Amino acid sequence: MKIIACYSNKGGVGKTATSVNLAYCYAQAGYTVLLCDLDPQGASGFYLRVKPSKKLKDARFFEDVERFTGSIRASDYDRFDVLPANLTFRDFDVFLSRMRNKRSRLKKALAAAGSDYDVVLLDCPPNFSTLSENIFRAADQIVVPVIPTTLSERTFDQLVTFFEKQGLPKKKLRAFFSMVQRRKTLHLDTIERMRKLYRKRFLNAEIPFAADIERMGQNRAPLGVYAGRSAAAIAYQELFDELENGEVSTI
Amino acid sequence: MANDDGFFVFSGRFDLTQVSKGLKGFSLKIENSIPRRAFNLLDCYDQSVRAGGRLLIQTDDVLRLLNSDGSVVEQSGIGTGRFVQDLPEGPVRTALTGFSSLRALMGITSGWFESHDFAVLDDLQKTQVRGFAQSLSTQGGQVVLVCVQPMRGYDRAFQTVRAAFADLSSGQQSMEAVFQALLPGISPYKAKPDIALGTDEPSVQVATDIIRTYLHVARQNEAGVIADIDTEFLHDYRVSLRRIRSVLSLFKGVFSPDQTAEFKQVFSDLMAPTGPVRDMDVYLLDKDMYFSLLPSNLHLGLEAMFDQFRAERARAFQALTKQFRSTAYEQQMSKLTTLFSEAGAIQPGPNAARGAYDYACALIWKRYRKVCKLARRITEDTPDEAVHALRIDCKKLRYLMEFFAPLFDKKAFKVLIKPLKKLQDNLGLFNDYSVQQDALLGFVSRQSNAQGRVNAQLALAAGGLVGILDQRQRAERHRVIASFKHFDSQDTQHLFCTLFHHKEVKT
Repeated sequence: MKIIACYSNKGGVGKTATSVNLAYCYAQAGYTVLLCDLDPQGASGFYLRVKPSKKLKDARFFEDVERFTGSIRASDYDRFDVLPANLTFRDFDVFLSRMRNKRSRLKKALAAAGSDYDVVLLDCPPNFSTLSENIFRAADQIVVPVIPTTLSERTFDQLVTFFEKQGLPKKKLRAFFSMVQRRKTLHLDTIERMRKLYRKRFLNAEIPFAADIERMGQNRAPLGVYAGRSAAAIAYQELFDELENGEVSTI
Repeated sequence: MANDDGFFVFSGRFDLTQVSKGLKGFSLKIENSIPRRAFNLLDCYDQSVRAGGRLLIQTDDVLRLLNSDGSVVEQSGIGTGRFVQDLPEGPVRTALTGFSSLRALMGITSGWFESHDFAVLDDLQKTQVRGFAQSLSTQGGQVVLVCVQPMRGYDRAFQTVRAAFADLSSGQQSMEAVFQALLPGISPYKAKPDIALGTDEPSVQVATDIIRTYLHVARQNEAGVIADIDTEFLHDYRVSLRRIRSVLSLFKGVFSPDQTAEFKQVFSDLMAPTGPVRDMDVYLLDKDMYFSLLPSNLHLGLEAMFDQFRAERARAFQALTKQFRSTAYEQQMSKLTTLFSEAGAIQPGPNAARGAYDYACALIWKRYRKVCKLARRITEDTPDEAVHALRIDCKKLRYLMEFFAPLFDKKAFKVLIKPLKKLQDNLGLFNDYSVQQDALLGFVSRQSNAQGRVNAQLALAAGGLVGILDQRQRAERHRVIASFKHFDSQDTQHLFCTLFHHKEVKT
């Protein structure tokens, strides 16, 4: 099982769209995927028409394995399940370490429920906390969408600095440029500068700023479902390909 | 109530929209459809797919296997006339693993197929339940199979949908119901049909019933033999005739001596042309085994040998089908069928009126004692003939027990048959090894010219095989002795005695 965290310490960067579309790409490629909606403002569940589960608002639910597995919902797509959480995070680190531990009850329960997923994708909340640090430690890859603007550049600097300070492995950070408008000189300049500065951190794939992606809110479905041949859908596919063919530590 | 899984059978027409009314808060949406097209229902002759609660259909070049739990597997390929092991790799072939390798798939019936996938949506248009409805229609009737599948986390919706379908369905909710709708009044072929017996039924009646039944079984195999679908048709045909012949020889005195002699001749003549084909079938079926017995440098001769076997089979097969198609054969068979169907058409013998149970006990006890007598004498050094004689008597004992089984305790019979079967398996192998050696030697001598010379490759291959078969035969004799010891246990002896040996009725 591989844990991929989709994280950004800045809001409105297309993080949730990335989570949903990446999860969809993985499922389409034949992996079994669990997308965990951990962002209280996030809308992974909304995009997939999955209603938030009332049961899950209880903070301690991670200690209750059955309630956890019972809260998982099938999406409309094969191999693609959702944990529609809107959680509070008191026990999230416990959850993560259990997801990692093969012998934990959680892990066994997942396997027994036929849901020992190939990929667990976490749609993370946008803040720094001990929780984020736990996510950074537990995840195999941390996918970071970055809008090529000055403000985003600053927040990305902060993230890298945080990694350095905490002694976290920076190579887990897989950043990519999101909502790119190639007509804007600012975007192009920022991309060039940041690619030079963080040569190894950035993936080649770029997600364009596209109306098709914005329409996800209306269509409430992954992009591949209603605009499979759009430039944006192809860009997400490229992002998936690059992530999947990159170096990943698996347990 | 219907079953726990979401599998429903509706006979006749069924409109999916009917169910929408029962789905409060949900809507049903048809997603993908396979438009109406011709289908072939595939199974082997004894309908093992059906017996396993499954349904295999062919539409165009797609094979679709529907399991009893409603799950479907599909793969491309043509199944008609093929053995499962010869299908292209795919999920259908994998799902049919364990299917008889001797039975070919054939079209059982045909008709029209249509399929619709549907989704049950909530107010957000989120799919909460999936399902499909498949309509199959044949000349016999029409049936719609509906399968609803739960989706993770949406159990309540699944229960609602299941209940809605259950309300509309009636009758048996199983794959068997589908077969009965598509093939009404047609029961699957059975190589060993159950024959009802009464304790006091006159023996002549028992004999006539058995013969009539197996005559019918034999006749059911004729078309398959002629069409050469698989080798089991001829095998079953021969087994049926053999059972009839064993009744004629074992049920002494139920028919008049003249009539018995006449029947024996008739059935022996019917059997005669089947032998050469079956012999070659056995070789050809075991082809891979023969090749594995010999090192590859002898394979050339083996190839030549199998070419000859195929040619011989073709000749023998032609002769056999010629007989099957002849007017004389047809007349003969219908005459026999009539004869064994009409009461009083056959001249009874001195034992004709004897009650079945009493007669069975006497016959089985006598045969059992003979088997024991023969078997206890077999050692490492007894001639092969003695082992062969034991094989024949074991077979007779087994047939007798099978014929009369309905009159006795099922459990006790199971206990007795199991070690007997094991012994018979060993005896069968012993016999096969011996017969095959003789056949190989005979084959080589037929292939040799006037000077007694024979193709060296062929002779090498035959010689190699004879050597191996002889070793195997000797090893099998050990096993025969061991298996008999097991069969000859105190418990079995005691059980035979209590079941069949009643002093007061002993003659």
